[in-house]
Amino acid sequence: MKTLVTAALLAATALPAFATELTVWDWKSGDPLAAPYYQKAKEVFEAAHPGDTVTFVMQPNDQYYTLLGTALASIGGPDLFLLNGGAQARARFENAVKLDDKIGDMKADLAGLPEFSDANGVYAIPLTIQGFVVYYNKALYSAAGLDPNVPPKSWDDLSKICAAFVTQGTVPCIALGNKEGFGMEFWFSTIAASLWTPQEQVDFAAGKLAWISPQVLAVLQSWVDANAAGWFPKGANSTAKFMDEYEGFMRGESANTIGLISDVAHWKSFDEMLGAENVGVFLLPAPGGAAAKIPAAGGIGYAVNAKSPNVDLAVEFAKTLAAPEVLQVFFNAAGAVTANTKMDTSAVTSPAAKTVFGWLATDVVPMAHTNATAQELEEIHRQSQLLLNGETTVAEAAAAMDVVAKAARQ
Amino acid sequence: MANRSEQRIAILFVLPAVALVAIFRMFPLAWGFLLSFTSGDGAGGAKFVGLDNYRALTTDAAFHDSLINTLILLATLPIWVMLPLLLAILIHQGVPGGKLFRAVYFFPAVLSAVIIGSIFNVVLRYDGSLNAALKSVGIEAVDWLGQGATALACLIAVQLWATFGMSVLIFMAGLSTVSSELVEAARLDGAKPAQIWWHVILPAMRPILEFVAVVTTIGVLTSMFGLIYVLTAGGPGTATTLPEFLIWMEQGKMNRPGYAAAISMVLFVGMAGLAYVQIRIMSRNANA
Repeated sequence: MKTLVTAALLAATALPAFATELTVWDWKSGDPLAAPYYQKAKEVFEAAHPGDTVTFVMQPNDQYYTLLGTALASIGGPDLFLLNGGAQARARFENAVKLDDKIGDMKADLAGLPEFSDANGVYAIPLTIQGFVVYYNKALYSAAGLDPNVPPKSWDDLSKICAAFVTQGTVPCIALGNKEGFGMEFWFSTIAASLWTPQEQVDFAAGKLAWISPQVLAVLQSWVDANAAGWFPKGANSTAKFMDEYEGFMRGESANTIGLISDVAHWKSFDEMLGAENVGVFLLPAPGGAAAKIPAAGGIGYAVNAKSPNVDLAVEFAKTLAAPEVLQVFFNAAGAVTANTKMDTSAVTSPAAKTVFGWLATDVVPMAHTNATAQELEEIHRQSQLLLNGETTVAEAAAAMDVVAKAARQ
Repeated sequence: MANRSEQRIAILFVLPAVALVAIFRMFPLAWGFLLSFTSGDGAGGAKFVGLDNYRALTTDAAFHDSLINTLILLATLPIWVMLPLLLAILIHQGVPGGKLFRAVYFFPAVLSAVIIGSIFNVVLRYDGSLNAALKSVGIEAVDWLGQGATALACLIAVQLWATFGMSVLIFMAGLSTVSSELVEAARLDGAKPAQIWWHVILPAMRPILEFVAVVTTIGVLTSMFGLIYVLTAGGPGTATTLPEFLIWMEQGKMNRPGYAAAISMVLFVGMAGLAYVQIRIMSRNANA
């Protein structure tokens, strides 16, 4: 008995000496809507690993990747770091641990893995799925003499609906904030989702579908045509998409807005402000396109630093962050559509959310803009503003894009 | 022995300053210079690429546009100097409420660029207060910050509003140093007020004018980032992109610190050229 007590005392006193502190970088943990999720993950992990602790370090969003790059180049970087899926994630795979053999038990449950993988394997565990849909204000549809329960299914339908709002002249048809060029990102991926074939999506991602090609020109032309038809509000180039555009939509100052499906600017925010019964949702049709589809992909995910001295423990925590019972808190608090398909969404009452979840189960296609390079994205931001102002033509913009794409993809 | 001891003490006194300059100025400068010859991706994967970054600058339309915008900005320099001088003269002449005007002019100088940008964002946006005022008198609204024709002019005007108060103060300090005996002698000789200003006061103010011109030039080339970030994000297109904003874009958003360093070096050379001119002017005046 004395031996047992001594052993227990020794173990208890020795435990702190082996305790590990995991440092986790992100740009979200201080967000009031995300904070309960991070707290839950911390509690679950620390309960399962007595003595080990987790410290979240929230970095400013607009400088996150600059700071992360510096930290990853040093020895004392974070054990885990948050990444956006697509180009930003792929640019940092060389600093991340390959996870294929570590997440075998949950891989089948995770959606959004392609945005955190390359030909060699998986380098981050996705937390959320992100995508674009069009939300509309049913009350404004009624006020314009439109049937609020019949959203557009084709470009012609959309043209008729927007013509009604243009004629009425009270609110713009489609809200648009393009101060940073994000309005074009959303438009580009939603139109491409309905317009392009799967092979064209693959070719665009590989840089084989030139910006001057008819398929891409059609997307750019639709942007110009919609603006020329008066669908967008004036002053779009000086309006921030986050959050001026969405705040305006929630105040009832525009009929439609291309929003997100997860986290922010989405069904949960709009339901709370406009009332769930007043929020409709549809997929943006494309001119001459086939049935509209939802562009969606892995949103954000956690990678483990290859230089971390605690790789196994860090992987454990990444898996905790992606566990269904933990993500449930994220979903409940922020309306985040999570990547773990085992999460229970049956309690959702939002009609818009139910519709979105239905699409996610069937019609998902890539978000084309996430497969462009950072330089191409920056240039399309600029060209989209010039197109709205009539300071360039579609052909000139596409030619300028190809110059940048060629240099960026060398 | 005493001299050697004094030398040691002198070195000890100078050492902290030299160390600070070396660590926080020269080392980053040298680091940036070396980085400009690499394909640095910010994650430790830098490769030596020789002059590739500098060659790329010759065909980078955004960089060219930022240089053109810089030249436009420099072309407005006379306004940046003469407007504060004019206001300083008026206050110095003892216009009613001069002290109030001095405080009001200086007030924006204590505000951060983000605050000023936010204020003018509300004023200049399409549904902002300026357009509301124009509409009330029947003038059509203008997208001041969203059109290439107006965005840069608005940015320059806001920066001028935000900073001219400091120049007014400098000019007023300069005016107070002009010899009153000299002014009085000119007056006794029958000079009219305009002649006194032109032939007596302004020549005496010449070093101050040159100082304000050079400091303002350097200031507008290196301190407009915050305003651009908040007001226009460099757009529309590249209409309000200046080299310092482009550096941030390349470094922070496009993850190309090597290329950003090359732009920084070009900006540094330009600024060094201005500093050289400044030193020459100061030296000439000192020797005159």
